[in-house]
Amino acid sequence: MLKIKDLHASVEGKEILRGINLEVKAGEVHAIMGPNGSGKSTLASVIAGKEEFEVTQGSVELYGEDLEEVSPEGRAHKGLFLSFQYPIEIPGVSVTNFIKTAINESRKANGLEDMPAKDMLKMIREKSELLEIDRKFLSRSLNEGFSGGEKKRNEVFQMAMLEPKVAILDETDSGLDIDALRIVANGVNKLKSKDNAVILITHYQRLLEYIVPDFVHVLHNGKIVKSGGKDLALQLEEKGYDWLKQETAV
Amino acid sequence: MAYTEEELKKELETKEYEYGFYTDIESDTFPIGLSEEIVIAISKKKEEPEWMTLWRLEAFRIWKKMEEPEWANVHYDKPDFQAISYYSAPKSADPNKSLDDVDPDLLEMYRKLGISVDEQKKLQNVAVDIVVDSVSVATTFKKTLAEKGIIFMPISEAIQEHPELVKKYMGTVVPKTDNFYAALNSAVFTDGSFCYIPKGVRCPMELSTYFRINQANTGQFERTLLIADEDSYVSYLEGCTAPSRDENQLHAAVVELIALDGAEIKYSTVQNWFPGGKDGKGGVFNFVTKRALCEKNAKVSWTQVETGSAVTWKYPSCILKGDNSIGEFYSIAVTNNYQQADTGTKMIHIGKNTRSTIISKGVSAGKSQNSYRGLVQINSRADNARNFSQCDSLLMGNECGAHTFPYIEVKNKTAQVEHEATTSKIGEDQIFYCNQRGISTEKAIALIVNGFSKEVLNKLPMEFAIEAQKLLEISLEGSVG
Amino acid sequence: MDLKDKLISSFIAFENNVDVEHPIHDVRMAAIKNFEAKGFPSKKEEAWKYTSLNSLQKVDFSIFPKQENTLEYKDVKRYFLHEIDSYKIVFVDGIYSSFLSETTHDGVDICLMSSALTKPMYKQVIDVYFNKIASKDESLTTLNTAFSREGAYIYIPKNKMPKKPIEILHFSTGNEASLMLQPRNLVVVEENAEVQIIERHQSLTSNEVLTNAVTEIYAAKSAIVDFYKIQNDVATASLIDNTYIDQKDKSVVRLHTFSFGGKMTRNNLNFYQNGEYIDSTMKGVTILGEKQHVDHHTLVHHIEPNCESHQDYKGIYGDSSTGVFNGKIIVDKIAQKTNAFQKNNNILISDKASINSKPQLEIFADDVKCSHGCTIGQLDEDAMFYLRSRGIPEKEARALLMYAFANNVLATVRIPELKKRINKLIAKKLGVNLGFDL
Ligand SMILES: Nc1ncnc2c1ncn2[C@@H]1O[C@H](COP(=O)(O)OP(=O)(O)OP(=O)(O)O)[C@@H](O)[C@H]1O
Ligand SMILES: [Mg+2]
Repeated sequence: MLKIKDLHASVEGKEILRGINLEVKAGEVHAIMGPNGSGKSTLASVIAGKEEFEVTQGSVELYGEDLEEVSPEGRAHKGLFLSFQYPIEIPGVSVTNFIKTAINESRKANGLEDMPAKDMLKMIREKSELLEIDRKFLSRSLNEGFSGGEKKRNEVFQMAMLEPKVAILDETDSGLDIDALRIVANGVNKLKSKDNAVILITHYQRLLEYIVPDFVHVLHNGKIVKSGGKDLALQLEEKGYDWLKQETAV
Repeated sequence: MAYTEEELKKELETKEYEYGFYTDIESDTFPIGLSEEIVIAISKKKEEPEWMTLWRLEAFRIWKKMEEPEWANVHYDKPDFQAISYYSAPKSADPNKSLDDVDPDLLEMYRKLGISVDEQKKLQNVAVDIVVDSVSVATTFKKTLAEKGIIFMPISEAIQEHPELVKKYMGTVVPKTDNFYAALNSAVFTDGSFCYIPKGVRCPMELSTYFRINQANTGQFERTLLIADEDSYVSYLEGCTAPSRDENQLHAAVVELIALDGAEIKYSTVQNWFPGGKDGKGGVFNFVTKRALCEKNAKVSWTQVETGSAVTWKYPSCILKGDNSIGEFYSIAVTNNYQQADTGTKMIHIGKNTRSTIISKGVSAGKSQNSYRGLVQINSRADNARNFSQCDSLLMGNECGAHTFPYIEVKNKTAQVEHEATTSKIGEDQIFYCNQRGISTEKAIALIVNGFSKEVLNKLPMEFAIEAQKLLEISLEGSVG
Repeated sequence: MDLKDKLISSFIAFENNVDVEHPIHDVRMAAIKNFEAKGFPSKKEEAWKYTSLNSLQKVDFSIFPKQENTLEYKDVKRYFLHEIDSYKIVFVDGIYSSFLSETTHDGVDICLMSSALTKPMYKQVIDVYFNKIASKDESLTTLNTAFSREGAYIYIPKNKMPKKPIEILHFSTGNEASLMLQPRNLVVVEENAEVQIIERHQSLTSNEVLTNAVTEIYAAKSAIVDFYKIQNDVATASLIDNTYIDQKDKSVVRLHTFSFGGKMTRNNLNFYQNGEYIDSTMKGVTILGEKQHVDHHTLVHHIEPNCESHQDYKGIYGDSSTGVFNGKIIVDKIAQKTNAFQKNNNILISDKASINSKPQLEIFADDVKCSHGCTIGQLDEDAMFYLRSRGIPEKEARALLMYAFANNVLATVRIPELKKRINKLIAKKLGVNLGFDL
């Protein structure tokens, strides 16, 4: 469903992605790993349509449609979801109000009526239970004063509410305590189906024990330098990235 | 003017009064210009007692000697006071309107508002007084209120029916000499609302006044007098609308609130006078004097949502005369296109243990200028006075301005005054975050602005808060490029 | 004759003593014309809402001292920062005292305005800088310009830094019953150069003195200027201090004002950021008693992008003193990424003292961070309790907390001896026995 072809992107004239190729099919889980600054978040942002980054070459396709001309919200309406590495604070806007707006905007774009308040409440209840989120939390201002872990959990809650086709989770595991990690991972697993796909950006094998990836890719210097099965992650955990860097330098 | 509640309800359902449609009604309009003769004529027309006529004349003489103030951070062509008609009354109380000559932009705006005023709901618990141009055309729920001894009627009627109250209080909080526009209003006011809540009574419903300017070249000078007797409570809301016209219209109102010992008044305003076109043509000049006097243990809260008017000059204030009295001011002012707003409050602490809170949120977009101007004065005998002020400005785009002019004057060592102000813009990352969740940029801005204004919106009665939110959204439309 | 008329007629006498052929004289003529048209500002003007010059205008000030007066160093030593070596530019009743001064031309020029205005070798600098940033419109500044003749002239060429700080002292002897002084200073700090200046006005008797000073400071690219104003004059001395600062790219100017004395002090401090990546800092400590009045009027004009400004003014007001803080920040449309912060905290310690604070923001650029905060209040009761529970008596605890309140502004004072001095002054003013050496 998501196809990335020879993607190059730069910011302020500095090239960060240097030819990424990746195909994600329905039902798959992909993990992307790689050292700090290798371009993982940049890749996620480019897929989501952040204008700060200039795509200089290549393309991103969703269901065969080139996304180049599609706005960030248009991409979201088509079922793309990005869980931010650093979720943004919006003072005065409650989580509930925000998610309600997001859902209804997507529905509107897809020619649907607003979701009836009753259904909305029901869904909020279900999903917050799934992720073991205290309802009080949902009336607080979006991400304002949230702890690191709370922010991440809130991102996954929004994902659960929006039911995306392709979800990119950018280091959603970092900042979560052990229990939270399990809860979030379970949540993601429950939301997974043969019709959707998940891309996990992570530094830790730990998460991949809960959400088992079909493929693991290593990003280095803006390129995927190695792809493999879930064992690759184990190998990385053991040896670090140096051996790969050396291998690719040759 | 036999107007039943039923009729009004029907009229509102058909959106007769929704915002500023120009209603093509035959009206009884005075020739333009201002003189002693006109002042007398207004008084005669209203069949006023002599004391009222003399009061007006005195105000007129004071006004003639005054000059229009220039200190505010607003620039406009001064209205020609001789080119305005000072009295215009609809001949029929049933304003049949033709929608044909209404600006399609405006219609679109109303459509977006939905049944924005949500009159239905309001009519269930809100008593409404409606002032078109210069006269009050309908006051609902008179009967229900009368049972509690509450008087809620057009001020012109109050002058006839309760002269002792009007005489005792009118001009005591805003004297005729107060300022240029207040003096003008005192001379020529044609209508407005009068309200009296007796001792110990909690007004069971929201009281509300809707103002609109209909006729071209008329000024609207309404006068509101609200007296909350000892230990009473009232929540009052005013809404303002005007049709869109190319020429400027003048609105110079005076609102006086008197909160006697232990009384509480909540006064909310949703001001949506026509702001002028995108090119800055037309719009209402809104020069308003609003002030409250608080006696012992009394409390007055002003809440305002200001989205309309081409030029706003308005400082709802509290004189905290009684010990332990409390003044509050919550304001959101949104300016777009060529609008200019200079608004804020004055909190005058005279009594001991008096407290005041000021929360002001300004949003400027387009080519507009938005100023907060406030005074916190702690007099020498006001022991243990407290004030907290917070003024935040949000700038959208690079052609507007946000200004903060607070004056803080303290003459008592036990005072605690705290003032904070910030200016910022909406973050691009905030917008991207919303976009990623499927929310368009325009909607994202509305959401963020609503969040920014939340502390103030929360102070409004529920149903008006929703209307106000929609108004904020509409007034910022087209502000992102 | 009121003071304005007296000044205007004195201008004619003044012209007898200066070279009227000199191009500067046209500047003076234009200036006196402006003053003549505007006169002294009145309380009706927004900028003078809280400070009145009425009573001063009734005093029969001498505009020129009748005789040259001298002073012995030992009598005035305590007004100098004598713990360290410094350059000194000293004036007695407005006239340069070569005896008390120590000037230099060794790589830098630290000397007199009167020579700079008349000698050809300074012409180039004077042409470029004299009266360029100072207002040609504000009446008191133009009054000073009209009579500009004497003051300090400091020129620091590129990459230079004087070996020691510079002290500018203005003494008045009281040999005149009442005297008006109008010193004019010019400070030019070229690219990558640095300077530290301390300025002080001191009256030695209880005769009335009015000083209307103008200082122009130019900080070129990457220059660093530290300027300290010590205002601890006697109860019959009034000061109107007009300072104009022009900053270029990456320059840093820190200006500290210590107001502890005087009858009426008005500080007009104007910063113009004519470049990028500029840092402007204004700090003030004001501790007043009796019937003293201090009015701090600051302006920071952010003209270019990426600059910062920081203001921190603390005031403690006792007896019947009055304080005014009026801080204005303007951010122009193109001055994106400006960070402008302003703080004004005040404590009133007497029933008759009062404070008027008017922080203003005028912002025309959207991508900025600007804030101002103002508080008027008392000492933290919890802190009081804490100190008292440790056995410190209430009076001392109060003094100590006030000391701490005022003192934290001093972190940016870069001359240790000066910091010590100011510390002591603050302690003395507040009646705190520090009990430890600073
Ligand atoms: N807006 C920007 N301007 C300049 N450089 C940028 C910008 N955004 C990202 N970069 C640079 O691009 C490189 C890739 O950043 P990116 O955030 O994609 O790394 P990452 O792989 O997600 O790292 P981490 O594991 O630390 O999250 C980094 O060197 C970063 O500094
Ligand atoms: Mg990252």
